[in-house]
Amino acid sequence: MKRISIDPITRLEGHGKIDIFLADDGSVANCYFQVPELRGFEKFVEGMPIEEIPRVVSRICGV
Amino acid sequence: MTFEPKILGILCNWCSYTGADLAGTSRIKYSPNVRVVRVMCSGRVDPTFILKAFADGADGVLVAGCHPGDCHYIEGNYKTIRRVALLKRMLSDYGIEPERFRLEWVSAGEGDRWAQVVNKITEDVRKLGPAKIKRFGASSPRFLDRQDSKAQGPKTA
Amino acid sequence: MAKLKLASYWAAACGGCDVAILDVHEKILDIAAAADIIFWPIALDFKYADVEAMPDGNIDVTLFHGAVRNSENEHLAKLLRAKSKVMVAFGSCAHMGGIPGLANLFTREEIFKRVYQETPSTVNPEKIEPQPKLTVPEGDITIPEMYDTVKTLNQVVDVDYYVPGCPPTPKQIWNVVQVIVSGQLPPKGAVVGASEKTQCDECTRKKQEKKITRFKRIATAQPDPESCFLEQGFLCMGPVTRGGCETRCQLSGVGCRGCYGPPPNVLDQGAKALSAIASIIEAKEEAEVQKIIDDIPDPLRSFNRFGIPMSLITRKVI
Repeated sequence: MKRISIDPITRLEGHGKIDIFLADDGSVANCYFQVPELRGFEKFVEGMPIEEIPRVVSRICGV
Repeated sequence: MTFEPKILGILCNWCSYTGADLAGTSRIKYSPNVRVVRVMCSGRVDPTFILKAFADGADGVLVAGCHPGDCHYIEGNYKTIRRVALLKRMLSDYGIEPERFRLEWVSAGEGDRWAQVVNKITEDVRKLGPAKIKRFGASSPRFLDRQDSKAQGPKTA
Repeated sequence: MAKLKLASYWAAACGGCDVAILDVHEKILDIAAAADIIFWPIALDFKYADVEAMPDGNIDVTLFHGAVRNSENEHLAKLLRAKSKVMVAFGSCAHMGGIPGLANLFTREEIFKRVYQETPSTVNPEKIEPQPKLTVPEGDITIPEMYDTVKTLNQVVDVDYYVPGCPPTPKQIWNVVQVIVSGQLPPKGAVVGASEKTQCDECTRKKQEKKITRFKRIATAQPDPESCFLEQGFLCMGPVTRGGCETRCQLSGVGCRGCYGPPPNVLDQGAKALSAIASIIEAKEEAEVQKIIDDIPDPLRSFNRFGIPMSLITRKVI
């Protein structure tokens, strides 16, 4: 089975990887989109004062 | 083999260092675990010293100064009180147990008290075990700080 | 003159540094005239394989932003270091750990549990969490291993220069580009695109005497626009933060949060912030001091917002 790996995906914000598996006749047998990043904002903002939250979570995406 | 804590002591010249000296000349026997550094005033103690001590492997840190009101420089130890209060909160946020860091007032005549203070912090830290604070540098083999890593000084930038 | 070869890469980043580069607006054309950008995931379609195929030292300058928090970030940091003549830690994350560095107060387990199980909008009854390798019918697929601890760029590879800021201001970015293009590089290890003095030097607010009897928060009180934040009891990291950003936060009505990093010769920005702020508290007795500092809601993160991985203790003890 032929495998095409797109690593990294580009021209967007964020990290990503796509693995495409081709059957013998060239059609797509399966395709996997993988997210190779996690920073953990959901956890590390716990306990922060409310006035900090907008200024911290804006760094989830600077675009 | 029992764990022997490594404790850094930062003592002010006028009161606490003299008090510690008195403990020595009086031949008082007490735990040898505190390594003493002398400063002119406890108000000179920068919180960086305490954090660096932990980062470099100290299991405990003891700051000692003159009793409030008796500071040789009048106001120095008031600054110490303020800095220590805030530093204790920061240390607990870092997960460092409060018993590892103490501020004590020891006057020049209190040799006995110095010995008691040292014995107390040594036993408290001994019960807690080694501080698991490990610095790592570029040569560290793994990131996961559960592993032992070679401690290196921080790179200033 | 041959065109410079530049690269700009993001690790655990948000894209803000790339946007800041683009915020030089029409000057981007001058940059394009002086340099070929040969790796820039946000804007150009070069792949990791293209970088791996380059000869060592092929890239003149790499602007590396984002913190190092997983094996892919580490791999790219080392790869780009090998392929670059000059490696620049660009932005707070690469310089100090940045906002992603706040994750150092938690463990990977705690983060995974929150993100993949506990958050209200998550439906994951089988409690599936990421693993570096998954075997699917077609073969093995992999994602990087996430580490417990976020690192700064210089804790992983040798760094030549630091450009601080979250993000660095476009004006300073242009200054940095001009330095790069001129070829007159400062001594290795220098912080470029920032002042050698603190924020207070640039700040236009009126400064008088500092005696704090009460701390206030911008969530519950309104600062006076003319006078120094600290004098009013509002936290400001100005005294322990490098200048260079033209006090953009102070001019917007909030105290400095420290994103430009510590001034020269400071080992731990948080420790210095703590020391400076504690010194100006007006109280002599422990009980009184305690009452005043109880009004500071989150000291570690307030004093060390952007630099926990660079701080002396680096992470919460585990």
